[in-house]
Amino acid sequence: MKLTTTLAVGTALSLFASTAFAYDADWKRGRVYYRSVCTSCHVTQPVGTINPSSKTKAEWAAYVKADKHGKGKETVKQYVSKTYRESIKSGNKAAEKFIAVPETELLADIQLFLQRGAKDGEAPASCN
Amino acid sequence: MRHSFTRAALMLCSAGWLAATGPVFADEAKPEAKPLKLTTTADHTKFKQLQKTFNSGPEVTKACLECHTEAAGQIHRTKHWKWEYLNPDTKQTLGKKTVVNNFCISVASNEAACNSCHIGYGWKDASFDFKSEENVDCLACHDTTGNYKKPSGLAGNVVTKDMEFPPGSGKVLKAIDLSKIAQKVGKSSRDTCGACHFFGGGGDGVKHGDLDSSMSAPEKELDVHMDATGLDFSCGTCHKTSSHDVAGSRYTPTAKDSKGAHVRGKADNGNPATCVACHSNAPHKKEARLNQHATKIACQTCHIPSFARGGIPTKMTWDWSTAGQLDANGKQITKKDAKGRIIYESRKGDFTLGENVKPEYVWFNGNVTYTLITDKVEKSDQRTPINKIGGSPTDGKSMIWPMKVFRGSQPYDPVNKTLVTPHTAGNDDTGYWKNLNWDKAIAVGMNTSGHPFSGKIDFIKTEMSWPINHMVAPKEKALGCVECHSKDSRLAGIKGVYIPVRDNNKLLDTAGWAIVLLTLLGVLGHGAMRIVTARRH
Amino acid sequence: MAERIYVFKRFERFWHWSQAGLIMFLMLTAFDIHGTYTIFGFEKAVAYHTTAAWTLIGLWVFAIFWHFTTGEWKQYIPTTEKVLAMVRYYSVGIFKHEPHPFKLTQLRKHNPLQRLAYLFILICVGPLLWITGGLYLFYDKWAAWGLTGLQLEWVATGHIIGAFMMLAFLIAHVYLTTAGHTPTAHIKAMITGWEEVD
Repeated sequence: MKLTTTLAVGTALSLFASTAFAYDADWKRGRVYYRSVCTSCHVTQPVGTINPSSKTKAEWAAYVKADKHGKGKETVKQYVSKTYRESIKSGNKAAEKFIAVPETELLADIQLFLQRGAKDGEAPASCN
Repeated sequence: MRHSFTRAALMLCSAGWLAATGPVFADEAKPEAKPLKLTTTADHTKFKQLQKTFNSGPEVTKACLECHTEAAGQIHRTKHWKWEYLNPDTKQTLGKKTVVNNFCISVASNEAACNSCHIGYGWKDASFDFKSEENVDCLACHDTTGNYKKPSGLAGNVVTKDMEFPPGSGKVLKAIDLSKIAQKVGKSSRDTCGACHFFGGGGDGVKHGDLDSSMSAPEKELDVHMDATGLDFSCGTCHKTSSHDVAGSRYTPTAKDSKGAHVRGKADNGNPATCVACHSNAPHKKEARLNQHATKIACQTCHIPSFARGGIPTKMTWDWSTAGQLDANGKQITKKDAKGRIIYESRKGDFTLGENVKPEYVWFNGNVTYTLITDKVEKSDQRTPINKIGGSPTDGKSMIWPMKVFRGSQPYDPVNKTLVTPHTAGNDDTGYWKNLNWDKAIAVGMNTSGHPFSGKIDFIKTEMSWPINHMVAPKEKALGCVECHSKDSRLAGIKGVYIPVRDNNKLLDTAGWAIVLLTLLGVLGHGAMRIVTARRH
Repeated sequence: MAERIYVFKRFERFWHWSQAGLIMFLMLTAFDIHGTYTIFGFEKAVAYHTTAAWTLIGLWVFAIFWHFTTGEWKQYIPTTEKVLAMVRYYSVGIFKHEPHPFKLTQLRKHNPLQRLAYLFILICVGPLLWITGGLYLFYDKWAAWGLTGLQLEWVATGHIIGAFMMLAFLIAHVYLTTAGHTPTAHIKAMITGWEEVD
């Protein structure tokens, strides 16, 4: 296969992807990850559990965008990363179940769950 | 598939890498050039019929029916649609439309509120057309976005333009995007079934005890089958549905399933929603003794140690007779317990709530007889059963079952000696919840349900039994022996079976210990005498 | 001086002591199951009780075999001879330091009262416990065995009666071990095999 063709096909597909086939986030998967991974840790950390409904949609969006966890010491994304999931999978069924999910998708799932579950979202949600 | 597609997209974006490994990419991508959904055979976003703005629920249904031509007709045959059910054994006409309970009491005259849980659009009174196809609500069960909502008060209709409701209240019901929802339809889920079944009785977890919103994505501890990170069953996994008719019934439950596991190819018209349907009648591999237990004890009895375990309380009692109290300013009041949960409302009366509730246990053979509005009731020390649970240790059809027994006090007509169907919900001048006037509320309600009302009102104590089926714990958390084999046995009230330890015979024990004690005294005395006489010699 | 005779052979002593241990363990677990006290708790006590019972059955298979091959089963044949003398000895003579009316030999190592008591345990208490215990254990097979009329309550009651009788026997038995030539003569014999006799 020739490079030019590949590139042409690739460009076409990329365009296609950015329009009709943008990743279709799965809020239910986000819900499970949020509750089983985020909450399971936060229960015991000094912060305590954080209900999705404790922030507004805008606040959650800003939080994810800022990508600061633990007062900026680390990123939020790292807790969604495959590396992190790999590191906790032996003790966390959700991390194990979603081990193969690309990080971007899982993050999108969680974001959608947070948007829905936010204070002003369609279905304000708690941690459990 | 999403994954492969995203992978392809990511690859394409990194041009440098692409340049170097182009041919490899091409080979890899070939078999999966087109993103493919494997969970369905139809991507509804691609259907022209759904790529438009919908201004009402029925408009969506019409679009669905263009392809799913038989769906509405199938729905029309079901309890979910008719809210009417003829019990073939008792010949009682049941169904939500007809029965009276001791929660919000009855649907009649309260359709606009209650029927937000009907799988149809526009059932506001008896004039509702049950033959209408477009009034079937496909989305209530097939929504996957979680955004589909049917607010109480709109007779099952949806909001497509922001509206103030009730009018003049200042509260705004937000519009939902039916187009987006319609394009994402899929299988029913714990969330869709739960939208009604988790909230029965007027709130989260109120009615069932074993069904509440904690079951939408439960952990293994809460429900071993629905475990969101494990088996992840949906309701339909057990309540296997065919022709839109959902298996499993609270009107004619299967108390004892002697048919064994369901196997493909085996002629079988049994209930697929029983434990036995999958696990067979001898599921205990290590302890065969437990299979013997399972000939008399329903699986649920041991495997659901308590209900309302997910952090959401269930209502255990409801006393309507205390409703109607007002504060000094004549306003309705609400009382809360230490945890901030409502335990009194002027419009409803007193409640008690329970979490991690131990069920009550009864012999149950699957026969349930309702006390209907046409049945005579007698006020006495005995609670009137809303649904009488049939069963006995000797009928060969009964098993020991766990129940949530919901006790309450509700209005009745002491002259006609019947339960009554009050008009509770409604933004009018007779609805009890707004006006706190039983006379008007019951007169209107009884008129709507078409039953005589003497005008006299009293309160009668009632109880309603709910067989416990969900929140099945992992096997390590099943009941241990001593829960029943002890003096304070969980099965203390169960007659007709001999349960070792619970049924120890006091007389036998006394006699036995007397013999042992006499023997001991005898030998001690004999020994003492030997010692004494030995000294003399 | 007393003469010594070899009464209990090696296997017999092994059988006796392992049986004694098992029976006492069965007693311990039995009344745990019964709810008299809690040591292991119902669930574990049932498991231990069952295992101990099977072990005892295994032991009995060997013991029965041994009894028949050695002819020792004859030790349990009841006799009326000297029974009254034994009764008189235990109720009167023993306090007056009269000589034991029964002369122990290798062929007659149980006194007549002992024979009767053991026989009673062997043909009444034992079978009662084994039959009811077995039925208890195989409760789930009753229907398959055609035992439809059988009530668990009868079986349980029989098993409990057997247990109390066994416990009473155990107490009397342990006490009477001290009623030999010297208080420890019988026990020593059961340990070493050699008994001192007058």
